[in-house]
Amino acid sequence: MKGNSRMFKRSMVRLLGNERHQSVSIPLFAIILSLLAGAVVILFLGKNPLVAYQNLLQGSGLLPKPSYAGFKSMLTDFTSFMNAWTPMLFASLAVAVALRAGLFNIGVSGQMLTAGFLTTLVVGYSSLAAPVAKPLVLIVGMLTGAAMGGLIGWLKHQFNINEVVSSIMLNYIAQYVISFFINTYYVNPVSRQSNAVSKAARLTMMDTPIGNLKMDIPLGIVLAILSAVLVKFILDRTVFGYEIKCVGTSRNAARYAGIHVGRNVIASMIFSGALSGLAGVTYYLGYFGSIQPRVLASTGFDAIAVSLLANSNPIGIIFSSFLVTIISKGSTYMNSSSGLESEISSVITGIILLFSACGVFIRYKVKCFRDELKEEDERGKS
Amino acid sequence: MERIIIDGLSFSLPLFIMAIGGIYSEKSGITNLALEGLQGVGAFVGALAAVLVAGSFAEQSQAPFYIAVIFAIVGGTVYSLLHALLCIRFKANQVISGVVINILAMALTAFLTKYLNRSVFGAASDKFVLGVSVRITVPVLSQIPVLGAVFKDLYPFELIILVVALVAWYVMAKTRYGMNLRACGDNPHAVDAAGVDVGKVRLVAVMVSGGLSGLAGICFAYSISANFSSSIYVGYGYLAIAALIFGNWTILPTLGSCLLFGFARSGGYYLVQKLKMPSSYSDLVMTLPYVVTLLLLIFFSKYNRAPRALGEIYDKGKR
Repeated sequence: MKGNSRMFKRSMVRLLGNERHQSVSIPLFAIILSLLAGAVVILFLGKNPLVAYQNLLQGSGLLPKPSYAGFKSMLTDFTSFMNAWTPMLFASLAVAVALRAGLFNIGVSGQMLTAGFLTTLVVGYSSLAAPVAKPLVLIVGMLTGAAMGGLIGWLKHQFNINEVVSSIMLNYIAQYVISFFINTYYVNPVSRQSNAVSKAARLTMMDTPIGNLKMDIPLGIVLAILSAVLVKFILDRTVFGYEIKCVGTSRNAARYAGIHVGRNVIASMIFSGALSGLAGVTYYLGYFGSIQPRVLASTGFDAIAVSLLANSNPIGIIFSSFLVTIISKGSTYMNSSSGLESEISSVITGIILLFSACGVFIRYKVKCFRDELKEEDERGKS
Repeated sequence: MERIIIDGLSFSLPLFIMAIGGIYSEKSGITNLALEGLQGVGAFVGALAAVLVAGSFAEQSQAPFYIAVIFAIVGGTVYSLLHALLCIRFKANQVISGVVINILAMALTAFLTKYLNRSVFGAASDKFVLGVSVRITVPVLSQIPVLGAVFKDLYPFELIILVVALVAWYVMAKTRYGMNLRACGDNPHAVDAAGVDVGKVRLVAVMVSGGLSGLAGICFAYSISANFSSSIYVGYGYLAIAALIFGNWTILPTLGSCLLFGFARSGGYYLVQKLKMPSSYSDLVMTLPYVVTLLLLIFFSKYNRAPRALGEIYDKGKR
């Protein structure tokens, strides 16, 4: 028994002990643990977890399906996967930027919805030509998101209102007010959603025939990946990035060092809001072409998971958002082919979150193991 | 006018009991954004119990309701152990833990409701249908003009909530445990020095918040729609948190803010009906509690004083 626990400790230290790799190895460990936990749940439901996970990959266009409908192939599946991935990537970057400043932007969904709605009104329903409309969509979306994020930061700075509470309140206000406007003025009587935006304004080119395939080409994904690199650069290599990191680590120390805390709180929320705005337009004017009233996109909340998983490192977020999108996007196919409820995918995402929230503890535990081992070794020698 | 009071009360009291749970947890130093998830899981367990036993009672019997309440409290308490585990034992960030627990609760209840409906009850549905709760009218008191409405058409859970709230207030304000709990939120090291286990006090506080949130959840399930689905409870947990912050982490002012939310909501609905506005205007009314919260927070946040050690992980060595 004693030997066993020693073996366990030693293998844990060997696996996760290298502190330079911990920022990658611990999230990976959390993911593997949660996939195992998810597998146990699926087994318990009487299904084969390997097949279920394979279905997830097939549904995301990463593995070939046994058969395809006309004009479809693995490639079209993958482009529509990227279509879903784009807003997730933007939203997670938004969460990460706020987290750097020690702020918890749980209002990403509300900011997305507001940006999506205003952009739909201003650009989506206009008759502008594509070369004008598409950049304009991005700009209006960014500005709207930034304004809403900035409002939360300002309320925090000026009135000491907890950003979690104010952004949740704004989420609900946005949700209901926008639902009111859609239902009163812009509703499509058949789909019960808002009227579809013009093709010129849409950021995804839907059903574009290429060869013998019809693809959805998401233009935003290039921008999203570039943004991740840019955010990484801003956070790690600029004065602004350094200042918000200081504010996030210790407000008092930052103040003592002469950093204007309030201004940085507002600026980081504006930055975060702008990214949520981009998430909003790629979601409501890209992935979808209309807005469903009374519903907040779950993307904004899943983004918290994604960002946590990557330790709010923008490059890590590219990978973690990729993974979480596989789970959510592939779940539809998993449902149809192995009969598991598609809700199981959000359960798996939840479990991943749970384990990644324990990352600090795992790190601490590994350190304890190493110290214990060292102690035992020394005792053995003497 | 009567309807505003009746509906307002049936909304504010569950909110109030959940906010008390939040106060317990936060006064002990554990930030609890998980209220939302706790009430969801509590309501789910309660509703499941009610649906399972409903067959063995007569149509009009109220027994399933009480069984649901008990199971909801148990369910919320058990689920809250997860938050306690993450925050106290695993020393995770409490805000993150709370949000994680909410997301997991949402996913779990949505999945399990659908799954159980299909596999156990053989129906493709994403909700549990609960019976209709009886309503009590106190004979003499309800005849008082205007204020009599307070005693009219009460749900039985409103009485349960009042009793529980009184007990909760007594424990918090008058007992040794309550004192330790409040001290844990302000100066945990002093509590430790006095020989009390900080982790244990906080564990109990989080469990209380879980139980009370579960109670609130099942009350919402009965009063709002007489069924349970994962979408009915969305948002009230956060509203409760706003209420307790606005109530400055004390029980009586928190009751005030909960009543304000409740009456703002029922008053708004009443207005929409009275002025014969189209039903989409009720969406605008739904924003009332949130707008009121924001405005009030703008005016009162300056005077708020959160427990000093709120959100801090207790580290024995950090004295």
